[in-house]
Amino acid sequence: MRTNSRKTFLSREQRLGLWFISPWLIGFVLLTLYPILATLYLSFTDYRVLSPPRWVGWANYRELLLDTENFWPSLGNTVFFFLELPLALILGLALALLLNQKLRGMTIYRTLFYLPSIVPVVANAMLWLWLLNPEHGLVNTGLRAVYIPAPAWLASPLWAKPALIVMDLWAVGGSMVIYLAALQGVPTSLYEAADLDGANAFQKLVSVTLPAISPVIFFNLIMGVIGTFQYFTQTFVMTKGGPDKATLFYALYLYQNAFQYFRMGAACAMAWLLFLVTLAATFLVFKTSAGWVYYEGER
Amino acid sequence: MWSGGEEKAFQAVLDRYNETHPGVRFENLGSVNDEKTVRALVAGAPPDVFTVSDPSYLGALAANDAILPLDDLFGKSHLKTDDFTRASLSQARYNGKLYAMPYLVDCIGLLWNKKVFREAGLDPERPPQTIEELEEFCRKITRHGSDGRLTRIGLRPPDGVNLLALYGGGFFEPATGRMTANNPRNIEAATAFKALMDAQGGYEAVQGFAAGFANEQGGYNSFYVGQAGMAFTGQWNTYWIAKYKPDTEYGVAPLPYPAAHPERKGTLWLGGNFFCIPKESRHPKEAWDFLVWTQSLEAQRLLADSLHGVPNIRAALKLRSLREGEPWRVSFGKFMDLSDSSNATHFPPMPVAALYLSEINSAIEAVGYGRKTPEKSLSDTQERVQREMDRYR
Repeated sequence: MRTNSRKTFLSREQRLGLWFISPWLIGFVLLTLYPILATLYLSFTDYRVLSPPRWVGWANYRELLLDTENFWPSLGNTVFFFLELPLALILGLALALLLNQKLRGMTIYRTLFYLPSIVPVVANAMLWLWLLNPEHGLVNTGLRAVYIPAPAWLASPLWAKPALIVMDLWAVGGSMVIYLAALQGVPTSLYEAADLDGANAFQKLVSVTLPAISPVIFFNLIMGVIGTFQYFTQTFVMTKGGPDKATLFYALYLYQNAFQYFRMGAACAMAWLLFLVTLAATFLVFKTSAGWVYYEGER
Repeated sequence: MWSGGEEKAFQAVLDRYNETHPGVRFENLGSVNDEKTVRALVAGAPPDVFTVSDPSYLGALAANDAILPLDDLFGKSHLKTDDFTRASLSQARYNGKLYAMPYLVDCIGLLWNKKVFREAGLDPERPPQTIEELEEFCRKITRHGSDGRLTRIGLRPPDGVNLLALYGGGFFEPATGRMTANNPRNIEAATAFKALMDAQGGYEAVQGFAAGFANEQGGYNSFYVGQAGMAFTGQWNTYWIAKYKPDTEYGVAPLPYPAAHPERKGTLWLGGNFFCIPKESRHPKEAWDFLVWTQSLEAQRLLADSLHGVPNIRAALKLRSLREGEPWRVSFGKFMDLSDSSNATHFPPMPVAALYLSEINSAIEAVGYGRKTPEKSLSDTQERVQREMDRYR
């Protein structure tokens, strides 16, 4: 005979646990989950913010996908920005390798290279507005001094995106620090073994270092993919999408729809499309990762 | 709405009302912008009365029934349509109904720098009359340094929408609900914009040069220091010049007109500030009483004197205290005279105004950079904005 006939759904411990995390749970449900689900509903409505949403089915999505003036160019600009990813990966890794040497005063170098990435994004943007100023900026003054043609940077539809990429590379210290930490975790025994086999520095880099830190490269890649799709602050502060829509990035166009043009329904649809695209891209990166990311704990 | 020193000036005007009207008290919420106001309205926590600084919000607020139509209240008050400058009240009307009370109108005309004119061999007392002449003057004023870079341009690059206004093609036909972005006049205007920029070394070079301009509010304003010989800009400059760079020699004129369309002579572009009463205001009557007071000579004078916008009440335009005394007030008076010109015009209030304005400026930019022809660029705008407007019908 069973003494406990009233079988409870959750054990006492589980209930206690839920009770303790309930502040977070309530916050998550009310402030995150509900708004996310609401945007899914709103993406199928004509919602002008000032009046109640009206169901329009797939109209927002259809209109966006047919919009070759803003939607596709904004996605194109965002995709162009993926050029920055390999550059940031290589530069971050190269800096980390250099800063991983055993030299005197290395902590000072590390601090110097890391410093730009703790400058707040907006302050960084204001600073670069000055550096890239076509007339009085330091960059163009330098270029003119060595007789290299100085582009108008953020005033030129051709050079605006490269200018933003250069600016972002300056703040590559964030990923550099992560690489650096990973480099320090590579077991020295592996290098000693490689030395015994007569490997040179390049062979050690390719066959020991890179495989050993591949999980970290993978992490930086994923964060970079997601961050690129969400690229917003710099262009919002510096260019507002100009010149001639050259820096109209996806997230900026989404913002304009939501908060300037009273097109909240379309903005919600854009947000969901972005979510799906980001999901697909991340999934692809994950799929390929099995081939090149090595986890020590496995096999 | 207003911030910094302007907020204090606005507060002083409110204080005056509170002092003279016992029993009611208006409090100004600092650092509010139009976007925040919209959020307060959506959240069901509207203020009793609010001010809009970007007229492009008015149409959306009116079309979505977020603000109170004022026609009945206006009819019962002592205010008359004829008391107002024409283009100040028409900015506050949507679909035939009155939705706001204007105050502190912004009036965009042509400012020319007389010293720059002399250096270019132009008559310093004669501004360009036509757009063709403007282009010629631009060519004469523009200077390049020894390395080929611009050191001076004729006209500071104007907003695309201002240029369209000069040709009178209009933006919208209220009767049919049709946009007119790509009508022939507007295409002429876009073509003229490109010609104007080409006369000064091309749009990209001009934009690069203009990126080096200092903040407009201050002594290094590109027009005050002569980096640009002319500018389409507003009445606030008369006060700023007196304050920041009083030795600037300048004149005030209406915007130039196309030689082929002489009826456009005397064009001015207006913007401004507006008071609205939310539909869910808890004190609509008191709010309206305050709005009526803002149209009194006393309030109009106080506002114009402290915040340097043009009054919208005709009688206030004649106030001698606003146009005599310090030398800059003479130029300010010129703006006041122009603001009631029959060709004073503005963007029509409509729910899609923000999108439309942004699309027009993008379209003109695409023409300036040579990415699109004027026809193609404005037809794209037409199609995009018409599609959006059709959702409101």
